[in-house]
Amino acid sequence: MLKYELKKFFAKTANRVILTALILIAVVYSLLAAESMSYTDTDGSHLSGIGKMTAGRRLAADKNRQKGELTAEKISGAVKSYQELKQQCQGELPDTEFGKTVQSYWDILNFTANVYTVEPAFLPDVITQLTEEDTEHIYDIYAANMDKMAEEYAETPAQEAFIKKQYEKVNIPLDYEAYDSWETMGMYIQTYVIILAVAIGFMAAGIFDEEFRNHAEQVFFAAKYGRSKAARNKIAAGIITASIVYWAGIGLMSFISFGIIGASGFHTPYQLSDPYSIYVMTQGQYYLLIVLCGYIASLLSASVTMLVTAKMRTAKVAVCLPFFMFCVMLFIARSLSEVTRIVYYTTDVLTNVIQAVKVPILFQAGDVVIPQLPLVMALYFAVSVILLPFIYRSYSRYGLAKSGK
Amino acid sequence: MELGFKNVSKNYGEIFAVDDITYSMETGVYGLLGVNGAGKTTLMKMLCTVTRPTAGQITWNGEDIFRLGESYRDLLGYLPQDFGYYPSLSVSDYMMYIASIKGIRPGLAKKRMKELLEMVGLSKYQNRKMKALSGGMARRVGIAQAMLNNPKILVLDEPTAGLDPSERIRFRNLISGLAEERLVLLSTHIVSDVEFIAEQILLMKDGKFYYTGTSEGLIASMEEDVWLLTVPRQKVNQYLQKYPVGNVKHVPDGAELRILSKTPPAKNAVRADTTLEDAFLLYFGQKAGDENVEV
Ligand SMILES: Nc1ncnc2c1ncn2[C@@H]1O[C@H](COP(=O)(O)OP(=O)(O)OP(=O)(O)O)[C@@H](O)[C@H]1O
Ligand SMILES: [Mg+2]
Repeated sequence: MLKYELKKFFAKTANRVILTALILIAVVYSLLAAESMSYTDTDGSHLSGIGKMTAGRRLAADKNRQKGELTAEKISGAVKSYQELKQQCQGELPDTEFGKTVQSYWDILNFTANVYTVEPAFLPDVITQLTEEDTEHIYDIYAANMDKMAEEYAETPAQEAFIKKQYEKVNIPLDYEAYDSWETMGMYIQTYVIILAVAIGFMAAGIFDEEFRNHAEQVFFAAKYGRSKAARNKIAAGIITASIVYWAGIGLMSFISFGIIGASGFHTPYQLSDPYSIYVMTQGQYYLLIVLCGYIASLLSASVTMLVTAKMRTAKVAVCLPFFMFCVMLFIARSLSEVTRIVYYTTDVLTNVIQAVKVPILFQAGDVVIPQLPLVMALYFAVSVILLPFIYRSYSRYGLAKSGK
Repeated sequence: MELGFKNVSKNYGEIFAVDDITYSMETGVYGLLGVNGAGKTTLMKMLCTVTRPTAGQITWNGEDIFRLGESYRDLLGYLPQDFGYYPSLSVSDYMMYIASIKGIRPGLAKKRMKELLEMVGLSKYQNRKMKALSGGMARRVGIAQAMLNNPKILVLDEPTAGLDPSERIRFRNLISGLAEERLVLLSTHIVSDVEFIAEQILLMKDGKFYYTGTSEGLIASMEEDVWLLTVPRQKVNQYLQKYPVGNVKHVPDGAELRILSKTPPAKNAVRADTTLEDAFLLYFGQKAGDENVEV
């Protein structure tokens, strides 16, 4: 039964069009991501045309000269080198110098500046002003700032303790490896995740309106299992196809992009990009977090659209909901963030992980402190599952109400 | 085997589509005849548990069919009037899908599908997409899917709509062959579809059974006789206003009218055998069927 339910799904013209489009988008996005990487050669030249596709790998190779433990000495060296170069050329750094040396330790400078200023600042300004004293004690500054941040972010002692505990998980000195692939792909996959979640909602809704749309519901509900197993199978088909489509899409895009730009830096700490994030993880885990949140978003999208379609006997309203949950909600949440905290836990968080990891939002119940992301993930995963029996009920009881339809 | 209706009603707001029907059916072919809006489809939908009666109860061997649920539907084959399908599926995938939701094992389902497509003359089109079938062909698939589970209760809502004359005959023969160990309820506007194969005729009007019984009984109960009368063309209208008139056949010296009347409408009128179609005309005050196919 499930086999034919799936066959029906993949045979449907609309679904085929959407699936083809999803594949195309994955390919195009992968190429755009690869194209967006920029690499400066030792002679100051930039890659162009098809050669740009090699930028990711060449950039990683260049930066990986710095691979390994990021000691205070290494940081001092990088800062000193940069300051000297800046002084020599009085102002704008020539591309040749950038390509020869600066590019390779750019991430290190970036990290140093971020550690030092806490708030984002213009990198050259910060780095040129650092003293030797500063750089030698950069990890002490980091530790001191962590304590300050914990105090600043926290609203209760429990939260402060929680953040401090998170920060303790940061292994100092950090281990460096070029991570541009993961950082860039994080951005591109985040957009693709939204597209997938919306498309999956659309297709899942179709599973529950096709009987009504095609006037096939009478045969369906008069069949032995029409109000039981067959209805359950439809739900299963919705979840299974959502999973297949989601992971196939993510897999395809990841495979192509990392295939082109390389996957250096899976184990690099995420704190290199954002030293004070309360999410202590690696760059690879950061990418997986985006993808996992996206999967939960897709499941939620499928559950919600299936339910609304089953209730309304048409997908017209349902197909608009994913767009609302993941796109419109983002703007609503943003504009209401001053008014109510509820918007910290809305559905758009799932598809905006790249922002969420930067903001230390903590939920507290009693003494238990849970950061925004795990909470939102658990919440919406639970909602997706809890809705399933309601889909079943709404659908399988078609026509059984005593009054009218 | 007994399908019972106890004071079954279904109303949509003010409209009583089915109005307090009490009746009982056993094996055999039941022909449900009625004009548009008589309530045939509504009755069948309830019988197939697609919609619930607003009052009354339908029972199978004494048990409420909605309570029986799966075990009742297991016995059911249904071709709705508004027969829809999944346009992107091939004929064989469609049949296999329906077989699966009817709970038929895949092995048996394949065998049944082959037999049934053979029976409705669509073996050649197994791999064709449903949306690429003609209206009549789709209807034939509809008949085939209803039969997949070898149903004890076969409900066919205007099964012959859209079938060509030769298919119509084939269908009729098929149904009479099937009726032995099952209950077949079929609705139609076309009297000739049920005239010879239905053991029981149910005339339905305004949600009620107007007449139930054999077709002979129905004819015998008529007080009117059927008269054939040839009149000049200009007089046709005059007769049409005065009597219920069946066929008007054009002949060289005017028109031959088939008139229902207790007394001879004219001296030269000739008695003819009364048919079910004449009864339909008399009871419903209009000609039977919208596609008066004479086969
Ligand atoms: N869903 C509905 N909502 C409102 N009224 C309905 C609905 N379904 C049927 N009706 C009304 O119930 C009456 C009976 O309709 P039904 O379809 O049962 O007739 P029928 O005998 O099958 O007619 P036909 O020969 O045209 O198929 C009609 O007056 C119709 O307008
Ligand atoms: Mg009807």
